[in-house]
Amino acid sequence: MNAKDILKINNRLREKLTEENKKIYEDMLVYIRTNTNKSEQQTEEVLLELLEHFVAAQSEGKSAHDIFGDNIKQYCDEIIEEIPGEKKSVSLVFGAYLLINLLGIMSLTYGTLGFFFNNVFHMGSNDVEISLGSAIVNILIDLFLIYCFVKLILKWIKSSTFNEKVKKKWVEFLQIWIVCTLFIGIMVMINVFMPTFGLEMRIPVILFAGIGFILLIISWVLNKKYRITK
Amino acid sequence: MSLRSQLLKGVLEGCILAIIHQQPTYGYELSVKLQEFGLSDVSEGSIYPLLLRLQKEQLIQGTMQHSEVGPKRKYYHLTDEGKGALKQFIMQWESIKLPVDSILKKGGTLS
Repeated sequence: MNAKDILKINNRLREKLTEENKKIYEDMLVYIRTNTNKSEQQTEEVLLELLEHFVAAQSEGKSAHDIFGDNIKQYCDEIIEEIPGEKKSVSLVFGAYLLINLLGIMSLTYGTLGFFFNNVFHMGSNDVEISLGSAIVNILIDLFLIYCFVKLILKWIKSSTFNEKVKKKWVEFLQIWIVCTLFIGIMVMINVFMPTFGLEMRIPVILFAGIGFILLIISWVLNKKYRITK
Repeated sequence: MSLRSQLLKGVLEGCILAIIHQQPTYGYELSVKLQEFGLSDVSEGSIYPLLLRLQKEQLIQGTMQHSEVGPKRKYYHLTDEGKGALKQFIMQWESIKLPVDSILKKGGTLS
């Protein structure tokens, strides 16, 4: 049974918990799920087991602490430690999917907007000059930045669990705003200050749209075949 | 980890293997059975990290199956290695059970 199907059962079964228990369980769920490099299948299987146990114990009048001990966060750490790592082949397909999908979106957006602006508003030109070396380095740095950004967000989500003290909404907003601004700023800066080197090429802007479209189709097929997101 | 909790974990693992050996069992059922046998001191949730470890060591295998009532559940059954580990646990247990019991009887009455 696929992890995505188990996840759906989990979503339905969770509604059987009382408000208070649901809040505790969802903290556990987020805390355990936001670990990268752990087997998704095993993670979802153990999460469903914990939920079933919780639902059954709840009907007998037991509390979360009766089941999971005094320190629930520490209990979750014990669980996480025992979940095996993701298989190399699964990680590889997932990484390839993300990469192809991201490049597809970027290329399609760039190509379509460029073509549109050029032909409707007569801005820019129909051909783009590209230095292959700096373009590749640029993309690699962007990918690395996005990777850091995602890790940071996951860490941030994980740290938001099991907190009795709730942060003020505007403080949270300001923090996210600063991080996102910094992140986008660095990406733009790198693009601006990157020296040009490597093979110079002139590529018609519409070609970007075409390549992007093909990449998106490939990523769509990958997703269908390996059930990456659904 | 303290020696005491290591001992407890080891014994608990052996008991889990024995119960699963009798018939394929799912998590909640397993904890109920342990309680019925009187192991009520063990907090219920502590079986799940152990089940994960036993799977990693390939002593047990879990498969999602339809239960008679309700949704699909993960049922555990012993692998061949699991059967071997259970046999070994029983032998080790038998070899320390009597000596420990008689030591405690002679010198251990505290009241």
